[in-house]
Amino acid sequence: MGEQMSYEAAFEELKGIEAEIVNETATIDVLAEKIKRAADLIKYCQTKLRTAEEQVNAVIADIETA
Amino acid sequence: MVAQNFIRLAELTGLIQDTLDDVFEGKSFWVVADVTNHSFKPNDERHFFSLVEKAEGSSALVAKVDAVAWRTGAGKISVFEETTGQRFQNGLNVLVRVTVSYSPEYGLKLTLIDIDVNFTIGALERQKQEILARLEAECADYIQKSGDGYITRNNRLEFGLAIQKIALITSNNTAGFEDFVHTLQTNHFGFAFNIDYYFTPVQGENNSHLIRQILVDIYKSNKPYDAVVIIRGGGSQTDFLIFETFALGQIVAKYPIPIITGIGHQRNETIVDIMAHSPTKTPTKAAEYIIAHNAGFEELLLNARKLIANRSQQQIWSKMQSLDPMIANIKNYSKMCILHHKGYLEHFEKVVALMNPANILKKGFAIVYYNGKIVVNAQQLIAGEQITIAMDGARLEAIITNKTTE
Repeated sequence: MGEQMSYEAAFEELKGIEAEIVNETATIDVLAEKIKRAADLIKYCQTKLRTAEEQVNAVIADIETA
Repeated sequence: MVAQNFIRLAELTGLIQDTLDDVFEGKSFWVVADVTNHSFKPNDERHFFSLVEKAEGSSALVAKVDAVAWRTGAGKISVFEETTGQRFQNGLNVLVRVTVSYSPEYGLKLTLIDIDVNFTIGALERQKQEILARLEAECADYIQKSGDGYITRNNRLEFGLAIQKIALITSNNTAGFEDFVHTLQTNHFGFAFNIDYYFTPVQGENNSHLIRQILVDIYKSNKPYDAVVIIRGGGSQTDFLIFETFALGQIVAKYPIPIITGIGHQRNETIVDIMAHSPTKTPTKAAEYIIAHNAGFEELLLNARKLIANRSQQQIWSKMQSLDPMIANIKNYSKMCILHHKGYLEHFEKVVALMNPANILKKGFAIVYYNGKIVVNAQQLIAGEQITIAMDGARLEAIITNKTTE
């Protein structure tokens, strides 16, 4: 997953995979592949959120000690 | 020829003294006059001056008497100066109570024993009202009366977000100047200021034009000042006429940079205060006003930062919230998907098992082979033919002995 991928793009792709899996339109042949991709996307989104959260928390801490 | 009937000068002055004493001793008079030739001896608290009356509409004297104020009169003058904000000085029109005395050595003298404060306040106030009326009439473009105050071009200007670059008009090395600079430089917010100093006398009505010229110079410098500050303070509570002139009121009202005043005085605002953007009572208060303005801006910034931080936290939180059910869905449904397929397979397995001939044989059925092929139609089988019967666990070779068709 390139660094250039935006959170929104990752999230949209994840939504697509979710729909395929929930509606069972993913064939068994590609299911494993889809799940693997989903896992990667989830990890990517969570990392992005956590990094943003840390930065926001740092700014807040900075404001509160200012 | 020499006149025989003469007297000595002292005899004459004695006669004058006796005559004047007869008329004036123990009496005092309230008189209106202008002060001139004034001098003050601070050490023994004495004022020496002349009282004059001028002909109306000219400077020609119609009356002039030397006068003095001893300790009592000087005390009254002191109170007068503090109450009116007006220095007892040449050219001042006053209502004073005097006694008349004559001494052979020093001649005729008036002694000031009281001075009317209200007469001068009234006169100053009339003068001020006249100037205000003139400003309103002659400068209607940028001075309009509004209720008790005035709307001027200057006081309608808006300060920038922060006041940092300041042109300071002050007299050098006065307490007021030091108060102002010290208050700005030691502000506990740590705000930095960039001050340009414009030194000029800030006393004496006649120096009013110097302040006006400095305002012109500041404007022409084209420096991007956030505010011009005029301060005076820490000294005597008198002599504010420098800030009560038409010319200074006019330029302050019209000035394109906001003017903050810190002119230490207890009385009403001066004309400069009335026309300026932000009048304050002392140099220290002027500095505090600037600091408060900047603190307001900083608070705005901090609130914005806080808001941005809170909003981002909320956004991250809501994104995390929306991620969670998706992860659960993907987990559950993919498992379910595999489970479903397993279910299909099991079903097929059962069907296949069900259809497996071995399993059918176990249930007591048998398969008949004829010429190595499974027989599904008995038509070709007739008595005497050899067939193979496959059963669970054995194959039987058999000859058909009889055939009955049903």
